[in-house]
Amino acid sequence: MGKLERIAARQDGRALSRRGFLLTAGGAGFVFGFARPASAAQTYPSAVPGGLFEPTIWCAIGPDGTVNVNIIRAEMGQHVGTALARIIADEMEADWDKVKITQVDTDPKWGLMVTGGSWSVWMTWDVFRQAGAAARTVMIEEGAKLLGTTPAACSARNGMVTGNGRSISYGDIVARGRPTRQFTPDDMAKLPLKPATERRLIGKPVAALDIPAKTTGQAIYGIDVKIDGMVYARPKMPPTRYGTKVLSVDETEARTIPGYQRHVVLDDPSGIVPGWVVVIASTYPAAIRAADALKVEWSPGETHTVTEAEIIAHGHALIARPDGGTYVFDDKGTQDALHEASRVMERSYTCASVAHYQLEPVNAIARHIDGQWEIHTGNQWQSLVLPQLAKALAVPAEQIVMRTYLLGGGFGRRLNGDYAVPAALASKALGGVPVKLILTRSDDMAFDSIRSPSVQTIRAGLDPQGHVTGMRYDAVAGWPTEVMAPAFMQKGVDNKPYDQFAVAGADHWYQVGPMQLRAISNDLANRTFRPGWLRSVSAGWTPWALESFLDEVAHDLKKDPLAMRLSMLTAQGRNAGSAPDSNGGAKRQAAVLQRLADKIGWGRTTLPADTALGLATSFGQERGMPTWTAGAAQVHVDRKTGVVTCQKLWLVIDAGTIVDPGGALAQTEGAALWGLSMALFEGSEIVGGTIRDRNLDTYTPLRIPDVPDMDIEFADSTEKPMGLGEPGVTVIAPAIGNAVFNAVGARLRHLPIRPEAVLAALHDTTTA
Amino acid sequence: MVNDTSSRHRGAFTLLKRAVGAAILAGVVGGGGFLAYAWYPSIAPIAKPAASSFSDEAVRRGALVAAAGYCAECHTRQDRGGGPALAGDYAMETPFGAIYSPNITPDPETGIGHWSEAAFKRAMNRGVSRDGSHLYPAFPFDHFTKVSDQDVADLYAYLMTRAPVHMEHRANTVPFPFSIRLLQAGWKLMFFTPGRFRPDPNHDTQWNRGAYLAEGDAHCGSCHTPRNLLGAEKASHAYDGAVIDGWIAPPLNDHNPTPVVWTEDELFAYLRHGVAPLHGSAAGPMAPVPHQFLSQLPESDVRAIAHYYADLDHAAARAGQDQAAIAVAMAQSKIDLTGPQTDPDARLYQGACAACHYNAAPAPVSGRPELALNNALWLDEPNNLFMVMLHGIGAAEGQDGIAMPSFYAGLSDADMARIAAYLRRTRTTRPPWTDLEKKAAAMRATLKTPPINASH
Amino acid sequence: MKTTFELNGKPVSVEAPGDTPLLWVLRDDLDLTGTKFGCGIGECGACTVHVGGRATRSCITPLSSIEGAAVTTIEGLDPAGEHPVQVAWRDIQVPQCGYCQSGQIMQAASLLKDYPHPTDDEIDGVMGGSLCRCMTYIRIRKAIKQAAAQAAGQPGEQTGGDATHG
Repeated sequence: MGKLERIAARQDGRALSRRGFLLTAGGAGFVFGFARPASAAQTYPSAVPGGLFEPTIWCAIGPDGTVNVNIIRAEMGQHVGTALARIIADEMEADWDKVKITQVDTDPKWGLMVTGGSWSVWMTWDVFRQAGAAARTVMIEEGAKLLGTTPAACSARNGMVTGNGRSISYGDIVARGRPTRQFTPDDMAKLPLKPATERRLIGKPVAALDIPAKTTGQAIYGIDVKIDGMVYARPKMPPTRYGTKVLSVDETEARTIPGYQRHVVLDDPSGIVPGWVVVIASTYPAAIRAADALKVEWSPGETHTVTEAEIIAHGHALIARPDGGTYVFDDKGTQDALHEASRVMERSYTCASVAHYQLEPVNAIARHIDGQWEIHTGNQWQSLVLPQLAKALAVPAEQIVMRTYLLGGGFGRRLNGDYAVPAALASKALGGVPVKLILTRSDDMAFDSIRSPSVQTIRAGLDPQGHVTGMRYDAVAGWPTEVMAPAFMQKGVDNKPYDQFAVAGADHWYQVGPMQLRAISNDLANRTFRPGWLRSVSAGWTPWALESFLDEVAHDLKKDPLAMRLSMLTAQGRNAGSAPDSNGGAKRQAAVLQRLADKIGWGRTTLPADTALGLATSFGQERGMPTWTAGAAQVHVDRKTGVVTCQKLWLVIDAGTIVDPGGALAQTEGAALWGLSMALFEGSEIVGGTIRDRNLDTYTPLRIPDVPDMDIEFADSTEKPMGLGEPGVTVIAPAIGNAVFNAVGARLRHLPIRPEAVLAALHDTTTA
Repeated sequence: MVNDTSSRHRGAFTLLKRAVGAAILAGVVGGGGFLAYAWYPSIAPIAKPAASSFSDEAVRRGALVAAAGYCAECHTRQDRGGGPALAGDYAMETPFGAIYSPNITPDPETGIGHWSEAAFKRAMNRGVSRDGSHLYPAFPFDHFTKVSDQDVADLYAYLMTRAPVHMEHRANTVPFPFSIRLLQAGWKLMFFTPGRFRPDPNHDTQWNRGAYLAEGDAHCGSCHTPRNLLGAEKASHAYDGAVIDGWIAPPLNDHNPTPVVWTEDELFAYLRHGVAPLHGSAAGPMAPVPHQFLSQLPESDVRAIAHYYADLDHAAARAGQDQAAIAVAMAQSKIDLTGPQTDPDARLYQGACAACHYNAAPAPVSGRPELALNNALWLDEPNNLFMVMLHGIGAAEGQDGIAMPSFYAGLSDADMARIAAYLRRTRTTRPPWTDLEKKAAAMRATLKTPPINASH
Repeated sequence: MKTTFELNGKPVSVEAPGDTPLLWVLRDDLDLTGTKFGCGIGECGACTVHVGGRATRSCITPLSSIEGAAVTTIEGLDPAGEHPVQVAWRDIQVPQCGYCQSGQIMQAASLLKDYPHPTDDEIDGVMGGSLCRCMTYIRIRKAIKQAAAQAAGQPGEQTGGDATHG
């Protein structure tokens, strides 16, 4: 059982593996492609019809042969429903053309509802195969009866059971046989699963089920939901994320705006939206204008002057202190190795704040109806926000249901469902009427749970032969999990909690002798903003330090960076890996790196002046679910302007079995370009206690002309599938940084890479 | 359009306010020694002539005279939700107070129903009201004096056959002594030369037709010729361009700095359809000129005006450079837009503007205004660029049926300044504009209400 | 204030303040939610519709300015959703989260009118205003080229939704 699954089991008090066997009514949710009637005022989608055979809560077969698969993961572009439905449909031998997917509402029966960390396929793989096997078993049993033969004489394929020279469809089996069989967990565990050679859907190209509606404007996102009698709301954003108190509100001018109804000073027992004032209006444009016109006097929180530089400086200071933090690794002899080393190299690396800028600004509708709170929104971690909503509304969590819609971008922003809280509180203040709260982009940016600025310092002890004999690694950043979901933090070797999502990636698979890895929470960051999980979380910035550092070491030792890395990926000790998740260990990382080097002709190509390749490797997201990743960048550096142009990116990835090849490639393309965007194009900073950039006039993520040539390759594998939503991010920035050095000898140690920094580094090089 | 309260109407033709303000002053300065010159008798009121007393032909011709002179633009209320056509009450703000245009429908009490043709003719020829009082030069009698007797008679026929509208205009708020109309005579003494248009025998009929319309009825110089301190057009700087409520009415002579010459075809397309493919479209106060007025004239008349100005700006002699200029502009159009880009200003332009303004060789696509060629980018000041960003261009303005959004809420003054500086340095050969952020703020301040209630 | 215009081929009248952004009129008054709110300042392209056949950012276009104009939204681009750009978008499996894609499709359809066989530069120049946060750009470029080929009656280039296996 994976780490997250264990956490889930702990959290909901019920083993995840048992959830598959509960017989329940079909969840109220929505089916993709279900077109709402144009005239309907209420635009949330309809529930699935009843009368289905549900061997498990995960799937159902209708008398017409339709197979419905319940998806508890948020659909935010990863085509997760398609990928997961392929797993179940393959195992149950369903007719893919009859498969529908339903995004379900929250219900305790689903267990942990979270979509992030690239976990979805990996977490669902086992249970969905078992659920599929259960359905297939029943179909064969019941089909055999109807065909007048024995199950052993029957086979299932493409939604049909064949035996005794005849065939019968799954739909007819349900209609005529009325199957009711239930399984005990023990029964389930004994069900035979198909061998990889018998897979007919997994690994084959498939058209994503969510795509057609996204080309016609019919797809419904949270922001598209409409409910009879709803009013619109827009917040007046407080000056600081925390500690703001409302002193006075003057609505004189707001009252002159047609459509303005009132304002609400939110009373939030959960402490998630302190100092918020929300404007209520009959239309959203009226709410926009009224919020601008409303005058609110606040006393800001203590962090209202904090700057990015102070947060970074605080990070350096925390690293310099011997106490504090949590040891993720604390191998015996690390300090000795460093003391005894013939030479110690130490470098520090920093990364700037990054905004999610998910294209759909956060929004939610809340209403109280029939004794229940309904929240309509897009969300990645329902299980996290429901208790927060319960606290805010002061009602038991059972009285809250969240209906999840398509997400106009997740990227981790909607793991933190904080935006549902002000909608709920505003509705509560209005007696439960439906309130649709939408943040404008500048509101959304101010409220974003940004990727925290980070500082990393790595020290390596080297022996006279140039081998790394010990490593000390300190990583400090704002800790999202500490702030938002402390129960999910892991324990270090010193038994102290730490945010694995603020250090993962530093716990690498290289053989470096004994190693200490200390994760430190930047308390100033945590107090100033609400640190967020952002695509690839810490693995979006730890490789920036680690992989840049390894190149620095190699160059210092006059070694080939590729050969040096390969020599350290020995798969020994804790890096040996273990089944099923990390079978093969670091050897697989070495394999993708070698394959990449072969592809790009590492060391064998001649490029024009000031143009070079750089490479980097990672294990994707986290040690427990390694996606072995190697990447290279070809860059050109303009020595006059300092502008770095990324001409081409290569990725070689071993993610085990690829369930949905098209989706996998799409995710990796997107992830790699996120990596490029964060390396060269975006990034912000904290000014006056809040993020400086509020919209695209100054925040400048990657656009279509910025896209380089790309070459992405997945290793053929039948190992357990790992995640693919994020690993593509991890290696891009260090590959670019290393390529810049290889091109012009300028070493960058801060992300994003700005032309001024390149010029400064070039200046250092020429004057050194 | 009557209900449209967008600010272009508030701005329309109010260049004249400068004339008014200064003229008031001139009257005061001029003193009282010119009473003999200044005094005009009242012309006796008449009973409102029956519509049947005018020939259909005269009325039809008069409609065209009214269109060529844009009467409805300044004689129709634009604020307060608009008013009936020609019924007056158009508000013209001046530094001395507001002037409200009179009702020129034939309503006997509030309009010109009691005006005889002679009274009407005197107003057009001399800028004197029926009761003998001097009209403010907000009424461009310095141009209308050139209109032929026949056209004036036809215009009278047209106006007197409109449905009378009983509507008072608001009282002018020009204070004493500026309110003394008699003092306007001093201004006239200094700057006004009455007299009908005289054809230039050195030019052909088309040229003379264009000159007649442009100099007289269409009163182009009212906006496009700079005025002196006393608000009179500077004859020595005819058509050098001038500022009108923030907008620049560009030079119509060879001082016009655009890289492609205003040829007769470009001028014609602009005046007839509201868009010149190689220069830009008619926005702001100019927008109604083609769309509501010149489009009603016979094509030959619009062509004649274009012909006249093409001669005035020496298009024939200068147009040889045009193909090269277009080629340069096509190369400039894609600067920073293809391939990776890290310049923040270029990225701002890319995000906000380029999707609609990028062009590829060999020529700009219709509906895709090429900024490297556009008037607004080449003028001495960024006014028009800022004004268009702020106001946008409605579907009824500029190029027919398409709209440019309003960046009023979307771009800050600093953002607008960055775009202006960026375009000026990458898409023109002209010196950089200065104080851009301040100028952007000044232009923004000319809009009394935001044109768009958008977020930011 | 009443504004009348043509929407997806049919006349509509809307009673709303003239300064209301067309985006919210479409979404909230006319129930056409395919047009999306992204940046709100005309710089992401998610709200792109056609006004008079030209791609226009509806989030900053005042209702008053489209009086009498013809507006087309993603819902009206093709009655059956079979515009060559939409077909190519499905063939190439372009959308991820999909939120920007209505705008991308409307912008691409407009691009193909201006440049029926767009070069990479022309795609950059015109599509550079349309942000895709999922970064589906590679497929957008591919789909535009396929749509261009299809519209010209030529066979589309090789579609490529599936992965390259090493």
